[in-house]
Amino acid sequence: MSELRVFIALGFHHITDLGAMDHILFLLALAAIYRASDWRRGLWVVTAFTVGHSITLALAVTGAVTLPTALIEFLIPVTIVATCVENLAVRDRARAPWGGRYRPVFAGVFGLVHGAGFANYLKSLFVAPIAVPLFGFNIGIEAGQIVVLAVAAGLLGGLDRVLARLGAARLASSPLRLRVVAVSAVVAVLAARWAVERSPW
Amino acid sequence: MRPLAVLVWLAAHPLHTTLTELTWRPSGGAVEISVRAFADDFRAAAASSRGTLDSGAVAYLRERLTLVDAAGQPLPLVWCGVKQTADLLWLCLRAAAPRGLAGAGVRVALLFDRYDDQINIVQASYAGRKESLLFARGDGLKRLP
Repeated sequence: MSELRVFIALGFHHITDLGAMDHILFLLALAAIYRASDWRRGLWVVTAFTVGHSITLALAVTGAVTLPTALIEFLIPVTIVATCVENLAVRDRARAPWGGRYRPVFAGVFGLVHGAGFANYLKSLFVAPIAVPLFGFNIGIEAGQIVVLAVAAGLLGGLDRVLARLGAARLASSPLRLRVVAVSAVVAVLAARWAVERSPW
Repeated sequence: MRPLAVLVWLAAHPLHTTLTELTWRPSGGAVEISVRAFADDFRAAAASSRGTLDSGAVAYLRERLTLVDAAGQPLPLVWCGVKQTADLLWLCLRAAAPRGLAGAGVRVALLFDRYDDQINIVQASYAGRKESLLFARGDGLKRLP
């Protein structure tokens, strides 16, 4: 097995492992507002997240920047809460500021934080030459995120059907809006608790 | 454990990984083995069953790290020390391998007893080539090409 394939497998395993609830729930929060037909937008947002975490991962692993572990571990759930708050605050995506095009930018910025979290573990284990492990790990993360996104799309679609059968149409909100509120509220509560527990202050 | 408590526990998401480098030195006909592991995890694993790190590390490594030659004969591991940098342990072993590592079998089962998501990576350098292996829980012996 080549070194590249090993680190692709490591990144894929890291993101799809059920122990990775912080990253999985972040992806779920990002995906919560999209229908299956919006998969391109979802993929674009997730890819922006990958670009963001690739940048900090590279900077931290190569020693270009030093990141405080406690602060990063606190900021990761904060980004999840912020994503959920944005989901809840913007009721009409068609009228969102800048047509909602800020979401990939947010995802990229939040990816910077999550990448620092990855780096705090990787940089201890791997020393130069780091290019191949770093590249492979990021490819694996991206592939894993696409798998998580596909599974999330299926689950969210199922939730839409359940809400529709429960008579969501008779309520003031659409099944999609109910889904966004339900998913975002649950994820926000969990992430807020993590943030409190990891608070460095 | 309540569902919420389980999710809170799962949120703490470190990367459970060790890196084992196998470097074959043709001049001495031996392979140098360097294992990098997070100190907290390794100390707990090595000491939990055998007292202290010093007394337990060698036995734990011999139990969890297997190296056999191309004919399937085990290569005895000789301890050559440990050093710590920051939160990382660098554990050193050597083994006589006059025929090199081509076709040799490797199994690294470190810390599988502690973490379900443990991944152990092996990077082997021998005869001008560099090969990598990845071990997850349940994996058996793997052969180097």
